[in-house]
Formats: sequence, C-alpha cells, structure tokens
Amino acid sequence: MIEIKDLHKSYKMGSNSLHVLKGINFSVKEGELVAIMGSSGSGKSTLLNILGMLDELDKGSYELDNVPIKNLNETKAAQYRNKFLGFVFQSFNLINYKSAMENVALPLYYQKVGRKERQEKALKYLEQVGLKQWASHLPSELSGGQKQRVAIARALAAEPKVLLADEPTGALDSKTSYEVMDLIQKINDAGNTILIVTHEPDIATMCKRIVHLKDGVIIEDKNVEQVRAEKYV
Amino acid sequence: MFDRDIWQEIFHSIKSNKLRTFLTGFSVGWGIFILVMLLASVNGMQNGFYSQFNDDATNSIFIRTGVTSKAYAGFEKERKIQLKNNDVAYIKKSFKKDYEYISARMYRNTSASYKGETGSYQVQAVHPDHQIIEKTIITAGRFINSNDILSGSKVAVIGRKVAEDLFKENSPIGEFVIFNKLPFKVIGIFTDEGDDNAERKIYAPITTYQKIYSNTDNIDGIVLTYNPTYNLTKALEFSTRLENILKRRHKISPEDQSGIRIWNYAEAFSDISSFTSVLSWIGIAVGILILIAGIVGIGNIMVFIIKERTKEIGIRKALGAVPSQIMKLVLLESVFITTLSGFIGLFFATSILALVGPAIQSPAFTNPSVSFTIVLTATIILIVAGLLAGLIPAMKAANIKPIVALRDDK
Repeated sequence: MIEIKDLHKSYKMGSNSLHVLKGINFSVKEGELVAIMGSSGSGKSTLLNILGMLDELDKGSYELDNVPIKNLNETKAAQYRNKFLGFVFQSFNLINYKSAMENVALPLYYQKVGRKERQEKALKYLEQVGLKQWASHLPSELSGGQKQRVAIARALAAEPKVLLADEPTGALDSKTSYEVMDLIQKINDAGNTILIVTHEPDIATMCKRIVHLKDGVIIEDKNVEQVRAEKYV
Repeated sequence: MFDRDIWQEIFHSIKSNKLRTFLTGFSVGWGIFILVMLLASVNGMQNGFYSQFNDDATNSIFIRTGVTSKAYAGFEKERKIQLKNNDVAYIKKSFKKDYEYISARMYRNTSASYKGETGSYQVQAVHPDHQIIEKTIITAGRFINSNDILSGSKVAVIGRKVAEDLFKENSPIGEFVIFNKLPFKVIGIFTDEGDDNAERKIYAPITTYQKIYSNTDNIDGIVLTYNPTYNLTKALEFSTRLENILKRRHKISPEDQSGIRIWNYAEAFSDISSFTSVLSWIGIAVGILILIAGIVGIGNIMVFIIKERTKEIGIRKALGAVPSQIMKLVLLESVFITTLSGFIGLFFATSILALVGPAIQSPAFTNPSVSFTIVLTATIILIVAGLLAGLIPAMKAANIKPIVALRDDK
C-alpha cells in the first residue's frame, strides 16, 4: 500500500538547514495498523505530513497504492488526498460552525457527491462511531472524545486507502483515549490500513506494528502482539 | 454558483461578522449612492438647461440692431441701424436653402383694457412663422395667420396671464380688447414653457402694427430658424454669412460688433452641451473614486476573514478541497457583499430621486433621474468591483498551505 525508499527531508531555518529525515525506507501493506513512535524532533510528524501529501519530499520516492507521489501541484495533491487519505488530527480540526454531520459530509462534498447521498453516508459513518444521535450538534456541544470520533467518521467517509492519525489521543484523557483506540482497532479489523503517530507507548502497543524513529532514521521496526483496547473501556 | 453549500457558508460568514460586513457594505453602498446622486444631479442640470432652451426652437437665430461703433463707408459712427421689411424679403430670397422659418418682430408696450380691467403689456408684432420659432403653444383659438398679415386686421393672441388678468373666468376668444384706444379682437390664447413673464405678452400681426405706427416699414428685429438638417459647423457658417451680408447691406464695418448683432442658439447650445458633459464626467470620476474607497474596504475585510479562517481553509484542503474551490468561495462572498450593498445604495438613491425629483421646481434643475444605462453600468461596476476586491484575498486563501494552517495551534 505504502512504499517509501530513501526519503530525505530538510527544512531551511534561516541560513541553516535542518535535516529532519535522513533516508527512510519503509513500507506498509494493506490492512496494517502501524504506530510511528519517537520523541519530539525525531521526524515522526514530518514523515506523516509527507505521507499525507501535506508536505513535499526532497529526495527519495514515495508510492501510494502503486501511484508515484511526486511533483504534485496543489490541485492534484488535493485530489489525491481526497481519494487516498483520511486524516485524524490531535486537535480534531472540525469546522466549528458545521454540525457533526456536515463535518463528516465535507470530504464527500469535495468528491462531488450529491447532497442527499452525502447526508446518508455521513449518517452511516456517524452511526459506525456511535454518534448518530449527535448528528445535528455543533462540535462545541461535544466532548473531546466525541469530537475525535466525529473526526474519525469524517476521515472514513471518503473511503480512503489509508487513514493517517497524528497523535489522535494526544488531547484526550486515558479512558477516552482507549475508547478512541478501540474504535480505531475495530476499523482496522474491518480491513482499513491505518498509520498512527504517537509518543505514548500504551497507545503504540495497541497497534500491530511499531516503527521507532530517532533523529530522522528508523531505529526499530517490529511487529507486536496487539493489546485490545476493549478491556480498558 | 448555485451551490447550496457555498451559499450556506457565505451566509454563515456574514452572520457571524454582522458589524464588519455592515461597515464594509456601507462604504460600497455609499459609493454607489453618491455616484448615482451625482449623475442624477448632472442629469437634472442638463435637463434644466435644455428645457430653458427648448422654450425656443433650438435652431433659431436672432437678429437685432444697435448703433455702429465705427465710422465706415463715409458714415460717422454711432449711426442707428434700422431693419426694414425688405431685409426680411432679402433674407428670404438670398438664403432660400438656409432658413426654415422666418418672422420679423416689432416690440411695443401697450395698455390693454377689457370692461373694467386694465393692464400694461408688451405687444410683439410678428409673422405667422413666429409661432414655430418660439414654440408658442396655443391653448384656445388660433395664432396669427397669413390672412391677418395681408389684411392688417386688428387681432391679438394673448398670453395666459393676460387672459387671467383681463377676463378672469370668462372666455376671451372673440371679445374685443382695447390697446391704446384701438379695439383688437382676441383670436387665441397661448402658454409658454418659459415662465410667467412670457405669458404676459400679446402677439399681433406685424402689418397691423406697422400701419398703426404711421405706416412704417421699420421692424425691430428678425428671428429665423436655420435648416434643421444643418450640423453645428454649418449653422455657425450660415450665421456668419448672414452677418456679413447684412453688414454689407447696411454699410457697417466688418469689424463692427455693435451695428448688427446675430445670436445663434447653436453656439450657446453646443457650449452648454460640452459644459454638462464635462460635469457628468466629473460626477463619474468622483463617484468612482468614492467607490474605490469602498472596494479597498471590502478587500481589506476579505484579507482579514481569510486570516481568521486560515485553519479552516487548511482543514478543507487536507480533506481534498482544490485551490479553485477555495477561491470561488472567497470571490463569491466578496461579490455577494458588494453587489448586495451596492443595490441597497442604488435603491436608496433611486427612491430619493423618485420622491424628491418631481418636487424640485427650479428652472435650472429639472427632473433629476438616472437612466437604465446608468443603473446597468453601476451593477456591472459593482460585480467587477466585488471580483477585484476579492481577487487578492482569494489568491492568498488558495495558496494557504494546509500544513502551515494546521500547525497554527500547535
């Protein structure tokens, strides 16, 4: 599903250049649930941004579902993001004046799905994350965990190839974190490929594979026995 | 364009920033309001000028005489120039193609009385053509005709004010009025668009008056209209020709400005036309300058809105919004605010004009109004203005990098 070879990325900080990713080789198969771990500054967020086509790579190659992701203009990148990827952010990033359902329907709007179908699909995904009865509520009326579940429903609505989650539990307490992880595991069970960036070891152990980043290189890449979040819920 | 979601967002954005939207919208509405009022005022002045001139046919030429200011051809200066019947005949003969209507004029003051009522009026003794040249409107009876001229009959066409003064409510037609002890039969009543004073006049056949005043063939002036197919240049050329020939005929120095005076409406008319068109251009320029201030205001607000919505735009882009969709959103919002507020300004301006316009009764300012063309132009200006105001902010929004936008709060 994801194929990355010798990926380099550096940022210009005034006159200095900060080399963030120093040759990453990494691949993800369909149906995997991968945790990308590392301390801050290890390059894990940069890697996720490149995977999410929010940022461009300097050197190396990146293929997503056998499509080379290279030299994309803004329009093309937006279309690929819409088609291939679903995002879940630490700060939820819901649009605050749109109801839960409208938020979930937004990627479908950009896929030019008709209004009625959009609403039906949005409701379906809200039901899947257990928030159907909250469909008409604004994000400000929801709790943190509920917001993240809406965000997950929104990421799922576009039926992406890969779900990218940047610290999805970073802003939540541990009980809510486990609830969200339980949801993510269930989505993964259904066959979705998911990448999670986290710095919390207990969240990482709930994935099936842990990739450890340090100073821009992968220092460890291992499959783990998945801890089911269900038992903590 | 007719995407319900886009409009929902525009309304949301407007609703959550009511004061800001109002203030910017106000500046554009105000700009349009002033533009329309300015153009309407210029239009009113133009109408005022034209209606004053329209009192007489706009192609008329007046010939008057005075005393010479230069000695010429053996004559001393300060010689009084007297026009006679044969001058009219001469013009008729020599300028067959150039003139359309012609009439001699004689002015005499007279006291007029009917039963107990007496008044003092000016009598203009004229030919029948005079009616067309002065655009005299007959409301009852008839004007002087060629029979009256031939027979030198004592008939009079009296102004509306004269009729009011002398006859009160009675019909004057067929009655006899005494002018300086001589009875004249009233054959018609006229009104004049000019003013009340023009309606305090009396018209009589020129031959009658020449007979009364010691059988003279003197006249006081000549009025004529030039061929209406003439343009300005040809009209001016004709009046110069006329002047030269009349000067030669009366042995006046070609440089003498006071022996014979010819006044051509064409000249004054073209002066006023260019004056009002300059005025209307000034109006347009001032209006557009004010409008620009409004447009800059909207652009300013849009930049601000984009700044506020950076994160939201980042989210949209992460979810798959392409730059052109973001641009469309911003441009539509800006066009919507400009057009709506512009129409409100337009509406107020036209309502005020419709209410106040007819109430203005000044000869120099008549019927201030805007044409459909002005309204249409204003609308186009507004939409273009909205697009311009939104363009830079829209491009800014479209170029927002989702990664930068999403990092904002971290």
